Amino acid sequence: MKKAKVLILRTAGTNCDCETQAAFELSGAVAERIHINALIEKKDKIFEYDILAFPGGFSYGDDIASGKILANEIKNKLGDRIKKFALSGRPIIGICNGFQVLVKMGLLPDPELFEQVSTLSYNDSDKFECRWVYLKTEKKIKNESNCVWTKNLPDIISLPVAHGEGKFIPDDRKLLDSLNENNQIVFRYSSKDGGKPEYPLDPNGSVDQIAGICSTAGNVFGLMPHPERYIFALQHPAGESFCRGYGWGKVIFQNAVDFVK
Amino acid sequence: MFEIEIRTKKGFKNSHGEHVLSDISGIGIKGITEVEYFPLYVIDGGITSAEVGTIALELLSDKITETYICRYKEQSVGKSLKTESSAGIDVSETAACADSAILPHSAFFVIEVWYKKGVTDTVSESVIKAVKDLGIEKEIKVKTGHKYYLYGKVSQAVLNDIATKLLANTLVQEYVAQ
Repeated sequence: MKKAKVLILRTAGTNCDCETQAAFELSGAVAERIHINALIEKKDKIFEYDILAFPGGFSYGDDIASGKILANEIKNKLGDRIKKFALSGRPIIGICNGFQVLVKMGLLPDPELFEQVSTLSYNDSDKFECRWVYLKTEKKIKNESNCVWTKNLPDIISLPVAHGEGKFIPDDRKLLDSLNENNQIVFRYSSKDGGKPEYPLDPNGSVDQIAGICSTAGNVFGLMPHPERYIFALQHPAGESFCRGYGWGKVIFQNAVDFVK
Repeated sequence: MFEIEIRTKKGFKNSHGEHVLSDISGIGIKGITEVEYFPLYVIDGGITSAEVGTIALELLSDKITETYICRYKEQSVGKSLKTESSAGIDVSETAACADSAILPHSAFFVIEVWYKKGVTDTVSESVIKAVKDLGIEKEIKVKTGHKYYLYGKVSQAVLNDIATKLLANTLVQEYVAQ
């Protein structure tokens, strides 16, 4: 059977690309880390891939604002290809800095609009927050999202966060209502039992505790926590496993790989 | 040359300003009741005010939480603060371009912090790259700084204390507090 091909886009300051590659390969895909300059030189190369991943890190040193310079670069030099890729229904994931890039270039929450209508701003604490947190999944939130990335997860999972600018802010109340109505909010920070979290389990003060959102079509997904850091049970501080030594992060990558098979 | 001040929109939290306020209190200084922090960028190199507006809107500010004020200045990027008077901290200057002109709301002090001449400004290098990404191909010079508005009543000596103990690393940075 043909293996799913994943493009992991990296640039100066990207530092989670190898873990993301490992997560996809463990899920049965062939994953390649490609520098943005190489993609700009051969723009249509993007269509050789089934899945596109924007990994975590500190692209361009987080200068100006996290993800901002890379978002502008992609939008100005690859914008039409990225939009076409997204609208073709192929899965796209943005993790942490990658989520900031997706939001700031406007691919989330609406790839068709492709305009920035929300942001990921400075944590309320004004500090870099790095810890394991609990996330309420779409199952617990009781929405019926189309998100291809978040299927087969239990009510609450645990993943690590590591960011200084993760406070999700929609432009206005109307957008927040629309994200809720369209079942686009797929992860919210929560307490261990699914209640409203206090700091530090709420690491950044996101509006409505939003930790991850998805496009209405379900293929473009961004989240601040790092699923690639919980592929194996041993990566969890308590060694928690759901199945044969794996962690919940692997399910997220497996979902996308299975989707494109 | 243009100076661009990035300001937090009304209704959004100025997290770094709050952090600085807490630090001021933490070193035992009383009399400051609020702090606002805003990044500063100085761009030189024959760009037009329309281009500066594009840079401020598309690159340097966040459309959701921030706004900006641009000011035209005669001085050049390479000069040290210590060779200039007032160093551009008069916020009443006419804005050359502004998403929304916002002036501080009451009696306040201003502390500006900039790298000393000769110190590598890595953020400015990123800004130069990003301006080219916007399609503005002119050879520009950029300088980045930090601006703090402090509300309350303190002496000049205390202001200098805040600057040297909390806001500026005087080995590589210089400041103006007034």
